[in-house]
Amino acid sequence: MSSHDLSNAAGPGLAARAANSAPARALTRVWLFVVLFVVWWFWSAGSKSLYFPPLSSILKALWNQWVTGPARAELASSLEHLLVGYVIAGLVGIGIGALLWSLRYLRDATSPYLYFLYVLPAPVLVPAAMTLFGIGFTMKVVLIAFAAVWPTLLNTLDGMRGVDQVKLDTSQVLGMSPLGSVFRVVLPAAAPQIVAGLRNSLQVAIILMVVSEWVASTDGIGYYIVTAQQGFDYVGMWSGIIVLAIIGTVANLLFVLAENRALHWHYGARAVEGTRP
Amino acid sequence: MLGRYALTYGLRLAVLAAALGLWQGLSAAGVIRGDEFPSMSQTATALWDQASGSSLWNAVGETLEGWALGLVIGVAAALLLGTLIGMNGFAYRSVIGVIEFFKAIPVIAILPIGLVLWGATLTMKFALVAFAVFWPLVIQVCYGVRSLDPVARDTTTVLGVRGPRKFLTVTLPSAAPFIATGLRVAAAVALIVDIIAELIGGGSGLGERILVAENAGPSVYPIMYAYIVVAGILGVLLAGAFSVAERYVLHWHESQRSAKAQGQDRGYSERKGLTLVVS
Repeated sequence: MSSHDLSNAAGPGLAARAANSAPARALTRVWLFVVLFVVWWFWSAGSKSLYFPPLSSILKALWNQWVTGPARAELASSLEHLLVGYVIAGLVGIGIGALLWSLRYLRDATSPYLYFLYVLPAPVLVPAAMTLFGIGFTMKVVLIAFAAVWPTLLNTLDGMRGVDQVKLDTSQVLGMSPLGSVFRVVLPAAAPQIVAGLRNSLQVAIILMVVSEWVASTDGIGYYIVTAQQGFDYVGMWSGIIVLAIIGTVANLLFVLAENRALHWHYGARAVEGTRP
Repeated sequence: MLGRYALTYGLRLAVLAAALGLWQGLSAAGVIRGDEFPSMSQTATALWDQASGSSLWNAVGETLEGWALGLVIGVAAALLLGTLIGMNGFAYRSVIGVIEFFKAIPVIAILPIGLVLWGATLTMKFALVAFAVFWPLVIQVCYGVRSLDPVARDTTTVLGVRGPRKFLTVTLPSAAPFIATGLRVAAAVALIVDIIAELIGGGSGLGERILVAENAGPSVYPIMYAYIVVAGILGVLLAGAFSVAERYVLHWHESQRSAKAQGQDRGYSERKGLTLVVS
């Protein structure tokens, strides 16, 4: 709270300047995290509540179970499902999206059904996937891939449809082959939207990863959490929750880094035009 | 023009008929085993049976109840806090990282806490929905409130418009498109989370019926697929309702006006609807 008082006391001009310097900006972004952590630590320190164990014991369980202990196997198996399912979803989504873009009639004919599958709340498919594929590796990967494919697919299709016709005509005049123009004109132009789709797909994939492990599994983070919860091991449950939170945040962070690398030319161009968000 | 529409819709019906026919054919030929995946006619019969009784409608009602309560609470909290945060630069910069962090947490991580606190109840369902809806929407509201056009901002200052009047006549209208996009995404997220809370948490509604049908064995699988279809239809209807409402409420805004001007080109309006759902 002290930095708040300081910036107020220093007056608006100085505060604005201070807020623009890099360390001050970092400090502004971080202090609330620190405050929340400290509040949680001391509020839960003497906690006798079964449901809200002290943060210190949660962190201890986090270290003993997930970093050095047996739960590492659950983490590895979850991440494996997630990675395989997500990669399949991304490749299939971009591939079929591009295919549908090139086949206009097929696209028009199937668009309502693709939309239906996109809007369908994917977790309802978990029981159906269990009856079809059992409760093993295949079921989870199929489920994650099937649920996560739609945002990428529809965004790919959509981004490609938005490509400027002039660019397509130009590439034709310049004698590019149709496939060459797909890779050198259409894909780059649609890239920002494809990336938006991939980001959505990632969130869906993480949710489906946990849901599938929760309902039917013998391994994975979801399985660990549900076992802990049903066994009244609330410290273990909280440690699993924190692991999930970390996975969500790290996945998001990695995605943003990759996106900035892959699309830096796009943001650069937008910044020149003065429309950078 | 009319010919093209007729062709498109004809093709769509043909695709539907072909898919359903293929499904039925594969079941009849024994390629799909009946104890794993029911035939199309069995599923359609089950859907009809369920729809003529009260069981299906009760499940839909229970799902909608959790969805609506959670959505209202989450949206109200996000509008209030998002506006307050967005109006102060320091508060915005301090809080935005924390919001991004909570937004990145998969909601399902919070589910066990909801379960130990409230059990498989309506409260658990709408609390989870409200939590899930709040974080993405509060970001949209902050962006919206901060996106005020500099010219409009300076004009309001010069004209001495301030306080609630400034908020109602300048800030809110300029934030409205951001909020509308956030709301439409929130409605979809709310349905998914609600169904997860039923499927995993056991709160009553569509998700719970689907799991119960799965546990009851192959003879009840047609009912399971019937409920899955209903969940999809519910998703389409809710998403559609929010799109229509947005067009109606924001008809004055540029984004909607340009959509209208180009409304002749169906491709564009479809694309736009989709983009906004996804963005």
